[in-house]
Amino acid sequence: MSSQRIPRVGVGGPVGSGKTMLIEQVVPLLSNKGYKVGIVSNDVVSKEDAERMRRNLATEKGLMPEELVIGVATGGCPHTAVREDPSINLSVVEEMESKHDYLDMIWIESGGDNITTTFSPALADYFIYIIDVTGGDKYPRKRGLGIENCDLLVINKIDIAPYVGADLKIMERDAKVVRGNKPFIFVNSKTGEGISEVVSHIIRDVLFESPPKTLVKS
Amino acid sequence: MSTEINLEDLSFLQLADSLFPTGLYATSSGLEALSYTKKLKPNDIRGLIDVYLRQQVGPSDCTALGNTYESIKKSDLHGLIDADQTLSSMRIIEAVRNASIRSGIQLLKCVSSFVKQNVILEGYLKVVKNGEASGIYPVSFAVASWSLDIPKLKAGLMLLYGFTVSVIGAALRLGVIQHFDAQVIIHDLKPCILESVQKNIDRPLSGMWQFAPGIDILQIKHEQMDSKRFIT
Repeated sequence: MSSQRIPRVGVGGPVGSGKTMLIEQVVPLLSNKGYKVGIVSNDVVSKEDAERMRRNLATEKGLMPEELVIGVATGGCPHTAVREDPSINLSVVEEMESKHDYLDMIWIESGGDNITTTFSPALADYFIYIIDVTGGDKYPRKRGLGIENCDLLVINKIDIAPYVGADLKIMERDAKVVRGNKPFIFVNSKTGEGISEVVSHIIRDVLFESPPKTLVKS
Repeated sequence: MSTEINLEDLSFLQLADSLFPTGLYATSSGLEALSYTKKLKPNDIRGLIDVYLRQQVGPSDCTALGNTYESIKKSDLHGLIDADQTLSSMRIIEAVRNASIRSGIQLLKCVSSFVKQNVILEGYLKVVKNGEASGIYPVSFAVASWSLDIPKLKAGLMLLYGFTVSVIGAALRLGVIQHFDAQVIIHDLKPCILESVQKNIDRPLSGMWQFAPGIDILQIKHEQMDSKRFIT
């Protein structure tokens, strides 16, 4: 059972929008700064995302122990698992907190879902919603709870916008209207463009500029 | 037919409601593995749940719930821990055991957010926290039901009904039955649920048993599947 709550970042978005890739890009930058991260990945059908992150971030890059990437099955209800009934996710996160109290944050990836996804505040302290340009430049103005309410909206795959007829200026204009003062960032998770800005938001808004726990203790 | 209504009735509805957070929707109890081996029909779902109720959930889970109630009546925390440990040791499939424990602990935490200063609820949470008990779902469910003044027999009904609905919900999400089928199966299983509760709720802990090797093998197969939607 849980000891002390570690800051938690939830990442939600449609299937194929780049949730896993975003985490794979963000975690190395956080690790370079000394932050220790755990990951809980909710897959809708397979364990592929959790296994890929475990291989890429833990086995190959050695950025975390393999046991710190945990896959969770959601019974075909990805939104329920992070909002209406986050019991299983809470349980896994609390176990991680009690076994690894040195972690600076825990990332929880939702299974791919639709634009109504949000995270229960009991589960995530900060909510990133990620969409990509292949859904068309109408995506931000379609609104939806995820796009409107998330703490940070990430718009991915900007490199292919010209090939799918998506106008980034329209997306920027609409995102400003829909989100008011809340932030949004254009990224290309393939190349890493825009990722450092995501990391800056995390350090400022989730960690409140706190240094890594391990540095403070040593 | 009784014309009285009270707060316990509402607590009964609250705990039995699928809105109540327990994580049970993420378990198919082996149905997902079975769905990969054959084209399932409503009768198959009904048959699987029937075996569960008579051979596993009835004589083990319901018996654990009944013994938990009896221990609580005697303010016997050790008896409660016994029921917890006996049932945990019977759950031989790790994924099934872990899912049950996770659901049980979250159920307790949720109930303790609105039931305050309850000695048994707090005491059980404490022994779960220090590792003396696991928090396995049927025992946690009994503690939660008792703390809401729900009578033992009704708690037994809720436990077995909740299990039945969780498997049927999984069948719906797997696309193997449609929503009318689901209600027909629930209706057909009512006598089996009732009989399992009556037969097992007063069984002593020493008489707790389960024997459903086919289901255990199904759960083992599910545990080893690479691609799956459900925890069990």
